Amino acid sequence: MPLAALKTVAKARNGVGAFILQCKRLDFHYCDWAGSSRGMKAFLKSTLPRFAKENPQIEITVSPRPNKHPIIKGHYINGREKVVCVRNMTNELIKEKADLLKSASGEKLKRVNKPVESLNESVRGIWSPFHGGKYKI
Amino acid sequence: MKRLRIERWGSQLHPQSTFSSRPRCICPSLQSRVLQPHNRRAQSTAPQIPAEATEFSDVLTQTSPEEPKMIPLETLPSPHPHVALRSAKLSALRSRLSLPPRLPLQSLARTLVHESADSDPNFNNTSLSILGSNILGYYTTEHLIANYPRLPTSVLFAAQYAYVGPKALTTIAHEWGIESAAEPGGEVDPGLLQFKRLRAGEWATPSQPSFRNKWNQSLTGKIVHGDEFGSYKSDLSERSRNRELPGVPLEDAASTFVRALVGATYLHCGPQTTKRFYANHFLSRHLDMSTLFDFRTPTRDLSRLCAREGFEAPIARLISETGRKSRHPVFVVGVFSGKDKLGEGAGSSLNEARVRAAAAALKSWYLYRPVEVTVPSSVEGVDPNSPEGAKWIPNHIDCGEVIV
Repeated sequence: MPLAALKTVAKARNGVGAFILQCKRLDFHYCDWAGSSRGMKAFLKSTLPRFAKENPQIEITVSPRPNKHPIIKGHYINGREKVVCVRNMTNELIKEKADLLKSASGEKLKRVNKPVESLNESVRGIWSPFHGGKYKI
Repeated sequence: MKRLRIERWGSQLHPQSTFSSRPRCICPSLQSRVLQPHNRRAQSTAPQIPAEATEFSDVLTQTSPEEPKMIPLETLPSPHPHVALRSAKLSALRSRLSLPPRLPLQSLARTLVHESADSDPNFNNTSLSILGSNILGYYTTEHLIANYPRLPTSVLFAAQYAYVGPKALTTIAHEWGIESAAEPGGEVDPGLLQFKRLRAGEWATPSQPSFRNKWNQSLTGKIVHGDEFGSYKSDLSERSRNRELPGVPLEDAASTFVRALVGATYLHCGPQTTKRFYANHFLSRHLDMSTLFDFRTPTRDLSRLCAREGFEAPIARLISETGRKSRHPVFVVGVFSGKDKLGEGAGSSLNEARVRAAAAALKSWYLYRPVEVTVPSSVEGVDPNSPEGAKWIPNHIDCGEVIV
């Protein structure tokens, strides 16, 4: 056989074509009794319906967590979870935290040194010592 | 060409009244509202309500809430279609994939039910996945053949596998955020992938020896007898299809779901939306075609190709070199046909560089892309005389790979 082929799988490029939000679920937990949930309860009553309407791609669950501080838990497509404790926070602060969890990718936080990351080959190519003008010593 | 009416395609997905042993979808009024056709004429000569709709209303009066027959959900093999409307997971999935609301949640729920969970063909996704598999294969093949007319058959199969093969579809389902249910059942959330799992070690038992011999596995035999990826059905998937095994692997269930979703999109939303969905989710993935080639004797192939095309016989010439006597020499060799350089390669020996140069020359021949391409599906169902319709321009057809 003169020519065989290698089997691979095409790699995803999220945002080229379709964009899939990486946060797939947000859990809101509150406590009915404790004072640290006061802001959370206000958020659930006033802000959450609009937040859910603006983000239909996120599944939202609300459940009590008695005798504990209120938390928001984000579940991501890569299988990881991210949890933020929102004790004693106001309604607006909790909205900020929910936005933060919504826009997170779910990956561990890491320093990004290179500004551009691409699967494509460099258009300019790699410099080669064998091509172009020769340097005479 | 007279178009088929989309609402007819979609309405056949809903369980009919003949199957009275299973509870039917008891929300026909909502479905008929959701399934409003987008191409219905304003002054229709036909009656507005099709025959199916009246049948549905009869069904509704029979199963009206006056005499509700309470069936425990646990007894059903897959979730009731009615529950799909209340599932947060399903509606989140639909928005996440930017699917139009014309695709009802009941159909989306049905695409998630694999045959191994529910053997009733009115409730599982087998029929949809057959349609979706054909659509995916069609769109991918036409894209590849029109854009890369000189691609050899084995590479064409590999490219097809890379875009819509079972492994690629499983990855896509995972990237869409699909979770699978631990065990299928009527009480499970319909937003989860439902299939009977194959436990560890259950498939490891040896099966019947295959009748297919080594000599029967030529490329031509694969074109005729193999699937769209040029391979024969794997032993495992064949056995799970024949119900020899108690379950199916996750790969089978996830790829069936993706195919069924494409099929359901086609039936409910029409070819244009499906094409856009396909382009956004499948074709936008990154595949470097030049990495798929695996040449065995590129120098011989190249000289045969030059003889076939009437070029001068290829000659390898040294372009530059360094460190010939050292531990790490580098040679840059070009393959020339007359005065034209066909390809260039670098290697640590003269022979390696020559082979690389020949492979580069062959790749640049096989990976030729025409500048303007019209795929057949872009002119389907479009009036050629209309200004917005694409005009069919015949594509380049190549005489094929070199035969040595």
